[in-house]
Amino acid sequence: MTDVAKRLDLSGVTCPMNFVKTKIALDSLDQGDVLEVVLDEGDPISNVPRSLKEEGHRVLKVIPHGETFIVHVEKGRV
Amino acid sequence: MSEAKPFQLDPNESRKVGYIPQKQIDYYALRLHVIAGDLSANQLKAVAEVAEKYGRGEVHISTRQGMEIHFVHASNLDTARLELDAAGIKMGACGPRVRIVMGCPGSATCKFGIIETKAIAKELDRRYFRTDTPYKFKMSVTGCSHNCAKATENDLGVMGGLLPAWDKNICIDCNLCVNICPTKAISKQEVNGKSEYVLEESACINCSVCTLSCPVNSWTASKSGYTLLIGGTLGKIPRLASVLKKYIPTEEELFNLVERSIDFYRKNGRKKERFGHTLDRLGLETVKKEILGE
Ligand code: SF4
Ligand code: SF4
Ligand code: SF4
Repeated sequence: MTDVAKRLDLSGVTCPMNFVKTKIALDSLDQGDVLEVVLDEGDPISNVPRSLKEEGHRVLKVIPHGETFIVHVEKGRV
Repeated sequence: MSEAKPFQLDPNESRKVGYIPQKQIDYYALRLHVIAGDLSANQLKAVAEVAEKYGRGEVHISTRQGMEIHFVHASNLDTARLELDAAGIKMGACGPRVRIVMGCPGSATCKFGIIETKAIAKELDRRYFRTDTPYKFKMSVTGCSHNCAKATENDLGVMGGLLPAWDKNICIDCNLCVNICPTKAISKQEVNGKSEYVLEESACINCSVCTLSCPVNSWTASKSGYTLLIGGTLGKIPRLASVLKKYIPTEEELFNLVERSIDFYRKNGRKKERFGHTLDRLGLETVKKEILGE
C-alpha cells in the first residue's frame, strides 16, 4: 500500500469547500507525497478528482467505502 | 404615431412576425429573435428601453431562451419593432414554422463541451429560421449529454458525443472511472491477475466524464462528433427525441442530414402533427432509413 503523508476526512463537506480543503492540505505536502481524503458519493467524487487533475495532481486510488470514497492523491509539481 | 387610423392585424400574419395577441384586447406580446440564448449588453438595453416605452417595463424570458415584451398596445407595435430592429434585434416566430434555435454554451466555455454549439445554432438559424413547416418546429444544440439545452425535447436536436476507448498501457488502475461513470458503463475485470477496464458500449451515454477525469488520460475519445436527434417534443403529447445518427464527424454531413430530416417532415407531416408523431405514425425505423438514405 501507498505511504500516506496526511489524512483528511471530508465526509459531509460539500463542493466546493471539499476541494478547497484538499488543496490546502496538499499545500503543506511535498511533491510526490500522498494525501488520503474521504469524499462523499455524488458531486464530491465526481468533481474533486477532476479538479485535482486540472491542478496537476494525480489520483492514485479510489476505494468505495459505504456512501463515501477513500481517495489517494499524489501531489503534483508545485 | 403619425396617423390615427384604427389598427388592423391579421392574426396569422401577426404571428409570423412575432406579435402574439394577448387576452387583453388590443395588447400584444412582442416575441424577440434570440439565438442560443445570446444577446449583447447593448441589445438588452434596447429591450429594456422598448419595454419601458411601449410595454409595462417588464420582460418575460420563455422556457426556450426567448425573450418577450408584454403589454404592447397594437398602435405601438410597429414603432417598437423598428426600435428593436435598429439595435439589431429581429422578431421571433410563432405558428407552424421553425422557431428560435436554443443552445448551451458548449465547448467555447464549458469544460464538458464536445462541440462548438453557438456556431451550429447560428447556422441552423440562418438556414431555417421562420421557414414554414407542418406544425411548430423547434431545434436545440447542446454540447454534451449533460443536455443542458434539452436537445431531446426538441423536434431536432444536435448533441456533442464521444465514444471512449481504454488504453491499458497507460492505466494506473486507480478505479476512478468505474466509480464516476454516470451509467456504470465501465466495469473492472481481472484478467490473468491484471485489471482490465471494459466499456459496455450500449450503456455508454457518450458524455466526457471518463475522458475528462481519468488522471492519466487512459480513456480518450475513439470517435467524437455530432449526435443528431429527431422527433422530440414536450407540450401536449410529450415524446423524447430518437437518435438518427451518432458520431457524425463533419458539419457538412450534419447539415445534410438536418436538411433531409426537415425535408421529410415537410413532405410527410400532417397539419398540427409534430415531427415525432409523424415518425411514430409512419414507423421510426422506416423513416430513419429513408432519411439516412439506406
Ligand atoms: S450540455 Fe454539456 S457542454 Fe453544454 S453546458 Fe451542459 S455540460 Fe456544458
Ligand atoms: S480512471 Fe483512468 S487510470 Fe483510473 S482506472 Fe480508469 S482508466 Fe485507469
Ligand atoms: S463516456 Fe460517459 S457514459 Fe460513457 S463510459 Fe465514459 S463516463 Fe461512462
